[in-house]
Amino acid sequence: MTDATRQTLLGSLPTSFDTGPEWLRALRGRAAEALREQGLPTKRTEAWRFTPVRSVVSAEFSRDDRGVPSLASSLPEGVTARSLRQVLQAEPELLEGRLDLGGAPTHFAALNTALFSDGLWIDVPAGTIVERPIELTHAIPTSSDSSVVYPRVLITLGDNAELTLIETYAGTEVGPLTNSVVEVDLSCNARMSHARIHENAGLQVGRVDVRQDTDSTYRSTVVTLGGALLRFDVRCMLQGKGAECQLDGAYLVEGDDHVDHHTTVEHQASHCRSAQTYRGIVSGKGTAVFDGLVVVHRDAQKTEAHQENRNLLLSETATVHTKPHLEIDADDVICSHGVTVGALDEDQLFYLRARGIPEDLAHSMLTYAFLESIVDRVSHEPTRARMREALLARMPHREEIRGVT
Amino acid sequence: MLKIENLHVEVDGKPILKGIDLEVGVGQVHALMGPNGSGKSTLSYVLAGRDGYDVTKGRVLYKGKDLLEMAPELRAAEGLFLGFQYPVAIPGVSNIYFLKAALNAIRAHRGEEPLDAIDFMKLSKEKAALVELPDELTKRAVNDGFSGGEKKRNEIFQMAILEPSLAVLDETDSGLDIDALKVVAKGVNAMRSPERSMLVITHYQRLLDHIVPDVVHVLIDGRIVRSGDKDLAKQLEEKGYSEVRDAPQL
Ligand SMILES: Nc1ncnc2c1ncn2[C@@H]1O[C@H](COP(=O)(O)OP(=O)(O)OP(=O)(O)O)[C@@H](O)[C@H]1O
Ligand SMILES: [Mg+2]
Repeated sequence: MTDATRQTLLGSLPTSFDTGPEWLRALRGRAAEALREQGLPTKRTEAWRFTPVRSVVSAEFSRDDRGVPSLASSLPEGVTARSLRQVLQAEPELLEGRLDLGGAPTHFAALNTALFSDGLWIDVPAGTIVERPIELTHAIPTSSDSSVVYPRVLITLGDNAELTLIETYAGTEVGPLTNSVVEVDLSCNARMSHARIHENAGLQVGRVDVRQDTDSTYRSTVVTLGGALLRFDVRCMLQGKGAECQLDGAYLVEGDDHVDHHTTVEHQASHCRSAQTYRGIVSGKGTAVFDGLVVVHRDAQKTEAHQENRNLLLSETATVHTKPHLEIDADDVICSHGVTVGALDEDQLFYLRARGIPEDLAHSMLTYAFLESIVDRVSHEPTRARMREALLARMPHREEIRGVT
Repeated sequence: MLKIENLHVEVDGKPILKGIDLEVGVGQVHALMGPNGSGKSTLSYVLAGRDGYDVTKGRVLYKGKDLLEMAPELRAAEGLFLGFQYPVAIPGVSNIYFLKAALNAIRAHRGEEPLDAIDFMKLSKEKAALVELPDELTKRAVNDGFSGGEKKRNEIFQMAILEPSLAVLDETDSGLDIDALKVVAKGVNAMRSPERSMLVITHYQRLLDHIVPDVVHVLIDGRIVRSGDKDLAKQLEEKGYSEVRDAPQL
């Protein structure tokens, strides 16, 4: 089902939505309406200030409906993975209220909501503990140089359920645009580890919205290896008391790539904890953006929220924009944030060289160790190994530094 | 082994070393003493090739070659070792991995085969035992969370593995308790050989009780003001630097 007509993203919005259940038509209608009113972001849109999407907004794309995520692993017992399209046809009531977890979508997410044609719904019923990870791949079509795909994934975990999800986004072409939305709904005491690898992601705008109920835990590790233009947002809404999220990220930006990570943690209930740790290496003419926001709502007493973003700039033409910010409306909270942007540590470099390690190898060792410390926090060993290999594949001296950490 | 001739060094335009002459013969152990800020570490860094030091005059010959022309890693590959006064922590880089990479880089320079993981582990165990460095520390990230004394022991452990021809040990004794001092001295002494030279920088006679030097030099304000045998260190301990400096050279 490839629509060969090329249109701008906004131009591709239909004037009315005629298929699917009533609530979905309304949801899509609202998303389209919001888009018509607000348009897609520009440089003047605060949250998109550093993301150069102008060329994407004005470009013409053709819809490619093959861009649905696919399961790369067999499904563990007890878990269901169903096509969104099929559920929407057969039992639409199951999805009502679950495709706008994050509230009214805006910008690219609204576009996805209005236009996605299929996707996946992975459900882990209450009490089900999935030990083996589920893997999703989003292969970006390369046939047409200017297609757009709208991957859509919904993950629901019942009470006490546990899941490890690995998502990989890969593609080598600059032309196609991936505009993905992943929504995660964690019930009481559910735990999810979410690993996400962006490899050569081309043009990519993606977001993950997570709604967390009481005592649930969400751990996300994002590894971004380049991207002509990559914008990734993750947002956790801590709605139940005692919920926890840990958002980690590592990015490696080279050439004239632009890689942009935004995190939002909303502390809406008391006794919740959040920690964000993003680290990046930027070289060449690359640009990296980190924007981390923690919002502590008035009733969210006993909140603990930490934020850290550290960057290594390896060339004079590389750029980092980093902005951790806190909006705190409660008084009994522990919050911290820290940012660094710097070069490799000269003393460390000299120490290694003084022991006989050639300068370029010492360089690779230190840069790899810097990012690997993020990957090292992933508890699932095979996932960790995968991420390490993905990182190593981008590093000079990969064989020699494999065991460095 | 090492021949320093009229070495003048500036940092940020400020003269620190003001004409050093020093010759360390093959197999000799020299001690370098001197008050805080006299330039001892500066000399050790210049020898190891750290950036930021301007050599304005003089030269340094190492095994007959112009040392100052070489990159730091080449100096190490040629057998120079610096035991740092303040070893830096390198989070994320495992001590043992880093040492293996260092040893194999040096071996490659000598045209030798790299040591495989098993042989390296054996070597590492043996040398760690020599300086009584717990196994757990050899595996941790380089100096990360090491106590002051553990860092110094780690330096000697590294020296024992890399088997340099010339070891410059910058205050390897500072921060060590009495027992640790003995252990480190034992490690250093075990490394003494007719082919290996050492330049031991220290403030204290007590290290030199264990590592008996052939020659002792006194560095004050960027100049070597006195050189003598091991008794010079004893005099320093008793009389202090100013008196020794002002006494006529015997
Ligand atoms: N990077 C630098 N910038 C400015 N001054 C420096 C720098 N490095 C060394 N110096 C100065 O050079 C002088 C010699 O320092 P050095 O560290 O060599 O002394 P030292 O003899 O090793 O002293 P200590 O016994 O305290 O270790 C000092 O006055 C010090 O402040
Ligand atoms: Mg010193």
